[in-house]
Amino acid sequence: MPAERRPTIFGDLREIASEVVSSRDLIHQLALRDIRVRYKQAVFGFGWAVLVPAAVVCAGLVVRFALAASSGRRFVSSELASMAVKSVPWGFFVGSISGATASLVSNMTLVTKVYFPREVLPLSSVLGQTFDSLIGGVLVMLLLPFIGVTPSIQLLWVPVLLSIIWLFVLATGLFLACANVFFRDVKYLVQVFLMFGIFVTPVILDAPAYGHRGSQWMMINPLAPPLEGLRMAIVEHRSLLVEAVAKTPATGPFVFWHPWFLLYSAAWAVGGLMLSAILFHRSERRFAEIV
Amino acid sequence: MTTPRLTFDRVWKKFHRGAIHDSLRDLIPDLARRAMGRAPANAELQAGDFWAVRNLSFEVGPGQTLGIIGPNGSGKSTTLKILTRIMAPTRGHASVTGRLGALIEVSAGFHGDLTGRENVFLQGAIMGMRTSDITQRFDQIVEFSGIADAIDTPVKRYSSGMSARLGFSIAAHLEPDVLIIDEVLAVGDLQFQERAFGRLHTLAKSGIPVVLVSHQLDRVAQLCSEAILLNSGEAVCRGTADDAISAYVRQHEVTRAVSTSGVVTFDSVRVLEGETVQSGQRCAVLITGTVSDALTPNVDPLLVRVRSLRTGAEVYVTRSKRLGFDVKPGPLAVRVGLQANLPPGSYMIEVAARDMPGERDVSNGPAAVFQVVSANDFIGTVQLNGTMTAADGNGG
Repeated sequence: MPAERRPTIFGDLREIASEVVSSRDLIHQLALRDIRVRYKQAVFGFGWAVLVPAAVVCAGLVVRFALAASSGRRFVSSELASMAVKSVPWGFFVGSISGATASLVSNMTLVTKVYFPREVLPLSSVLGQTFDSLIGGVLVMLLLPFIGVTPSIQLLWVPVLLSIIWLFVLATGLFLACANVFFRDVKYLVQVFLMFGIFVTPVILDAPAYGHRGSQWMMINPLAPPLEGLRMAIVEHRSLLVEAVAKTPATGPFVFWHPWFLLYSAAWAVGGLMLSAILFHRSERRFAEIV
Repeated sequence: MTTPRLTFDRVWKKFHRGAIHDSLRDLIPDLARRAMGRAPANAELQAGDFWAVRNLSFEVGPGQTLGIIGPNGSGKSTTLKILTRIMAPTRGHASVTGRLGALIEVSAGFHGDLTGRENVFLQGAIMGMRTSDITQRFDQIVEFSGIADAIDTPVKRYSSGMSARLGFSIAAHLEPDVLIIDEVLAVGDLQFQERAFGRLHTLAKSGIPVVLVSHQLDRVAQLCSEAILLNSGEAVCRGTADDAISAYVRQHEVTRAVSTSGVVTFDSVRVLEGETVQSGQRCAVLITGTVSDALTPNVDPLLVRVRSLRTGAEVYVTRSKRLGFDVKPGPLAVRVGLQANLPPGSYMIEVAARDMPGERDVSNGPAAVFQVVSANDFIGTVQLNGTMTAADGNGG
């Protein structure tokens, strides 16, 4: 009888990586299933993919018009651009987190009856959502030139920022999917957080609108720096490697962006992914009994 | 490459009766207990726990086919779930070397909104096939399932038989190194069942290790070289498929026998001249043993019972006193002749000593299994040896 091997962090990570690589066809098929099922028998079809971002932009317009009216300044088109740029990743976050959280429980029959590495369920759920968000992303790209956004070298930041967001979403999704197997409370908590998360994430308003302290506090949210980064790089053509200063009528000039914000988010994304992958891996053999 | 093999080494599996803590309200007291070191070690039974599998060991290598039989809730499915890595054993060790093919829940991954074609790729991937392999075998899979007309229809419009057939067809094209089969033999109509069984038979006889769980005992008898009878998670009988099946079929009889008085000790029951009998032909069974002096007139020392393994029903019973054969105390060696007027299938011969007024077996012997085959296939329950000849116009 072989001795029971003590799990090590690197051993686990290697195992997870090889499982994911060897189940790539399964991940692809499951993501394809999620996408197909979403649009079959739906009259509006792929239009639903941009529903959440579009709704966010509409709500944002109302808020920004109100703010512009009460402070007596004019609404500018770059405000629409920054909301459009941030609403797609936000929609991706909301969709992926709720989908991934439910992924294990909603595939209960599979989990209890067939063996495959369980990581593939939240992973393919996030991938299916990625496809939706890509549609939204392409639409926004096509839209931007019409609202006065010109391309710049700073667009090179976009893949970096999107990667950080994607990894962070996957990390959170893995953790929540696993937690939801053991405690169904998680599902309700997640719904509440997703509903109110928009108030602690700079999506509708930009970070400087919250003032000096406010913008600093907001950056504790690991999703805030990459979202702000997207706006700064795409709409404002700023380099993310230098501090950014803002000025509002109420306050003096203040620094609302430090380059290390990005490092902070990247650390959350990579570290979080490793932690939640290990946690997931070590509890997955109990899923079939608990779920 | 290592030899494909399925191993179960002293496996125990604990389950909990009733709900496990699902909400924070139950969790917090439990965590507190655990933090204070009050919780007992994980591998021991706590209140409400029971062993679904107890100390089960087996090893299946190339060329071996192991059947697992037993009543509902005896631990068969749990055993398979541990083998397929769906569950981890509480104690002990289970391992599979080689590419595992599991014919279990063959349509579990189907999604009703997707078409048959899309589901073939999805289910194939869930079973561990590469997309390129599925593309390559797609036509064979569809042809085997016999539902080519409906392949582009959403599966929600399929009958349950159709989706089961499609699921089986995907699983049947896995080309595994090791095979695990659970109750998938009763899929579809009779014609499909025969085709499915034929496919499994080919796979099982191709020399790969196979574990089969089924309630269709005749299939176990045909496919398996060895079998384990499980009861409450324990292996209560292991040996040849025939031994395990006979132990299973007689389980309730044995428990009904108030005392095994030992009036007769049976040593062996053997079908002479091979275990395959042509339907309608005669066969002979040799029974040996010892009859004790305690034999009373109330007890018939030799009762012979023939059971169909497909249904478990008795198809024929006779005994020495009926046949006018006198059994005396001392060594017993009897040749029983039977005419197998039976439809093709597997049958079991049981022997017993029976207390006639009390209507219970007082001694049970081993059992033998024989197959009835028929060259001129017929449908029905009795072999009537029909013939057809030309007759003249007046009816003979």
